[in-house]
Amino acid sequence: MLIQVKCSCGERHCPEWAIVELQGTVEAQPSLQDRIQNLQIGLLCRPSSEESYTLVVGYHELTGSKQRLKKPILVLKKMEVEDDSDSKRVELDVIGVIRHKILFKTRPKALISSRPQPAAKGKISAPASSVPN
Amino acid sequence: MDNLIQQTACSAGAEAVLSLQPSSSISLTYHSLFGSHNDLMLLELDDRLLPDILRQRITLRGQPDEDAVLCTSSKTYAVKFVGTSNSMLLIPPSEDVSRSCNNKDDGSMAVASVLKVAPGCMELVEVAPKLDELKLLLSQNPYSFGEASEMDTSDVGEKTGSDLYRWEDLVERIQASDEELKMGLQSISAVEIDGYWRILDDGYMHAILSMLLHNVILNNWSVDALDEDEVLGMLEADGFPRNIAKHCLQAYCSEVDDEGVCVSRQCKLDERRVCVCLAREILKGGKMKLEIFMQKWMRKLPDGMCASFEMLEGEILTEKLGIETWLYPFSVSSLPLTPAERFAILFQQRLKWEWKDLQPYVRDLKVPGLTSEALLLKYTRRSQPTAEAEPVFSAR
Repeated sequence: MLIQVKCSCGERHCPEWAIVELQGTVEAQPSLQDRIQNLQIGLLCRPSSEESYTLVVGYHELTGSKQRLKKPILVLKKMEVEDDSDSKRVELDVIGVIRHKILFKTRPKALISSRPQPAAKGKISAPASSVPN
Repeated sequence: MDNLIQQTACSAGAEAVLSLQPSSSISLTYHSLFGSHNDLMLLELDDRLLPDILRQRITLRGQPDEDAVLCTSSKTYAVKFVGTSNSMLLIPPSEDVSRSCNNKDDGSMAVASVLKVAPGCMELVEVAPKLDELKLLLSQNPYSFGEASEMDTSDVGEKTGSDLYRWEDLVERIQASDEELKMGLQSISAVEIDGYWRILDDGYMHAILSMLLHNVILNNWSVDALDEDEVLGMLEADGFPRNIAKHCLQAYCSEVDDEGVCVSRQCKLDERRVCVCLAREILKGGKMKLEIFMQKWMRKLPDGMCASFEMLEGEILTEKLGIETWLYPFSVSSLPLTPAERFAILFQQRLKWEWKDLQPYVRDLKVPGLTSEALLLKYTRRSQPTAEAEPVFSAR
């Protein structure tokens, strides 16, 4: 079997995607788990001109930094293409390239001050304030 | 509800995350299409492979039961999935740049949406092409006399057996880049016959050589300056198809550089290749006493050619039985190219190898990132009874 890796976006126009990487998992409250689309995870801030970032998820604050990846990562999408002879052929399309990630590798720090958005319990859980409808 | 509309209207995507200005913030949300998106995969690769990707020169190859490899035009890479326990939140660029929100005055906050949490990333490791399969496929049905005469009579078009392979079939079956596949075909001396890549049956190859040598004597040609057209014409008259005859001629000859104006191509019979072929033919029955072999070999050589025993490195092994020396065929070209399998067969053949015997059987092994010393260390145990003695290699 031969799978062609295609790049429909063309040279130099490959859109750049981003990765926000953090330790562990982000869990929504159980009651929201089946409708988390558009739900807010947290707030990403860049407090100063340095490449240092914070991510506030509920009561927790993560501190991290932006890193250029040593090797770029391609985002591939598996496509099924109709062949001339009606049979289906699989192709991989390069739909994006990732060159940077914002990595949060520290343990979350608890925020003691009262935040405007009360979040649910759990380690890192998404606040419910921006749930659709 | 208002909140939602604002959010989608201000969806800013990856570029907003990557170009986040000092003392500003962006809201990270799940995408409206957030899900497992199993059709999206991440592939880490070296910067220097990017141009190949963009020019669409990259393919993944392999049968459903094999681990996929990624091929550029000249190299083969194993694809390894590396999982991570971290959460990699994947943020696509905003779909419509004009719609993205850079207006800070309206009080709404820019939003970056996470489409998928990636479970890991695929990485590439350069590997040797898997060419053993090529040899295996093509040796299922070598081109032989039977077929050659069949072609003469009729039904040329009928020969489309399932064990014949076109280039397109090979590319689908063999885990190697195009360039490596071409080199692999060359190294097993394959030839394209009626659109199919074939190897020639040993007997057939030998018969052409015999006919050629016979005609060299008959026509008083010089083995150092054969006229290609004349030779091919003669072989054709003797019933060998021209393209196959040409292939064989190339297999036995090295080309002579044209000096000045030359109407047709000249070629020179390669001493080593001819001598090896003759030796193989003599030994095809198996073991033979050294003296008898040498007698037969010398008798078969064409005038002006000199055979030496070193030519048979990697073709035969010798064995001392009492005072007699016997030799038997053991051709490196019949051995697998995968180091583990190669060494297994070598140590099955002999428990202990001296370096001078072993070297011809391992020098063609190539594994990216591993030197030949490292290969020996990995697959053999080296012992040297005394400092002066020749080192001996045995299985690990």
